[in-house]
Amino acid sequence: MRFVDEFRDAELGRVLAGEILAAVEPGRHYKVMEVCGGHTHSIYKYGVDDLLPANVELVHGPGCPVCVIPMGRVDDGIAIAHQPGVIFTCFGDMLRVPGSDGSLLEAKAQGADVRMVYSPLDALRIARQNPHREVVFFAIGFETTAPSTALTLKRAKAERVPNYSVMCNHVTIVPPLRALLESPDLRLDGFIGPGHVSTVVGARPFEFIPADYGKPVVVSGFEPLDILQSIHMILRQLAEGRCEVENQYRRVVPYDGNVAALRVLAEVFELRPHFEWRGLGFISQSALKLSDAYADFDAELRYSVPGVRVADPKACQCGEVLKGVIKPWECKVFGTACTPERPIGTCMVSPEGACAAYYNYGRFAREREVV
Amino acid sequence: MSSCGCITCSDEGRPARIHELDAATGLALCEDEDGRCEETDVSLVAPVAVGDTVLVHAGVALVRL
Repeated sequence: MRFVDEFRDAELGRVLAGEILAAVEPGRHYKVMEVCGGHTHSIYKYGVDDLLPANVELVHGPGCPVCVIPMGRVDDGIAIAHQPGVIFTCFGDMLRVPGSDGSLLEAKAQGADVRMVYSPLDALRIARQNPHREVVFFAIGFETTAPSTALTLKRAKAERVPNYSVMCNHVTIVPPLRALLESPDLRLDGFIGPGHVSTVVGARPFEFIPADYGKPVVVSGFEPLDILQSIHMILRQLAEGRCEVENQYRRVVPYDGNVAALRVLAEVFELRPHFEWRGLGFISQSALKLSDAYADFDAELRYSVPGVRVADPKACQCGEVLKGVIKPWECKVFGTACTPERPIGTCMVSPEGACAAYYNYGRFAREREVV
Repeated sequence: MSSCGCITCSDEGRPARIHELDAATGLALCEDEDGRCEETDVSLVAPVAVGDTVLVHAGVALVRL
């Protein structure tokens, strides 16, 4: 398919790998964070890291929306799912995310009506088809998925579908990046910027990273050649002493984003004062809630939920993985007690989670040649 | 879920071609690279036409390619 096949060309990949090798300063160690879980998945699916010299280290960021949902929010969702008459809808990955007392899939096994949907539009369709039931959509995702939730809410309001509501867990990309940059744990040389979040917000919101922290950012596509080219662009910025936001994914990402989508987001959502992120803790103004104009569709106002903060299981080191402090295989339960079939932590649930990416594609610690 | 990755949490967008379009409602039927068709809201990338390729996230087209 156009826009896909030409970005998986093996010969061009080898050429780019050679250019990356030539751009590396001998003896220097580079830490580059890929922010988005989609990039993590592509890197391990296509073996992109095997084409890199060992002193170019890829650090996996917090950009998998399933992985950053804290257990307390899962518990709140399960509490709503158990309410009489409720049809609880969510994306498939969320079904298996463990709460403190089981997952949504286990709630379904206990009798709750939990259904997987591919988009909030599907959830709205279920609400139209079941006017005597209450249909709740568990919304997750960054600014990429938030427009989908927002447009569905606009349709629900325009069509007066009173039995539809949304439990909003949408998060925003810039605050966690700033939190990571402020973290003393992590010393990064540059960022592979999230491609599809940027289709909505544009590349401009990342300008604070070179301006305030002196690190290059390259907004990248998701095919293997996209990622290799983006790494090369970061290394060239570092070699030339530049730091700026570059857009490798210009075939998709406009520098100023999708203005129509941003307008819809501003209408339907407002920022929460703070929100808890798994592994990163509470971050100010990092998540969205429904605006006053859409409060009638807010499931958190329609139902009472526990709203209790729940600590992660002690054995789980998702927090360190999400901050890039450890690699997935360095977690004590990786691949033994914690597998995609029986996950303990969220990073093992979604295919975009770093642990699942390592597990599914067999990327364990391995020796690579240091330049 | 296809072998091409996860669309369930939707931080992976997929190119898809518009097959049928209802401009009045802003809804279209789009086919992705695996041949799967889904109803897609194209109101954020209007104007579009049958045959255009768009990038779809969670049932919404975010960019016309």
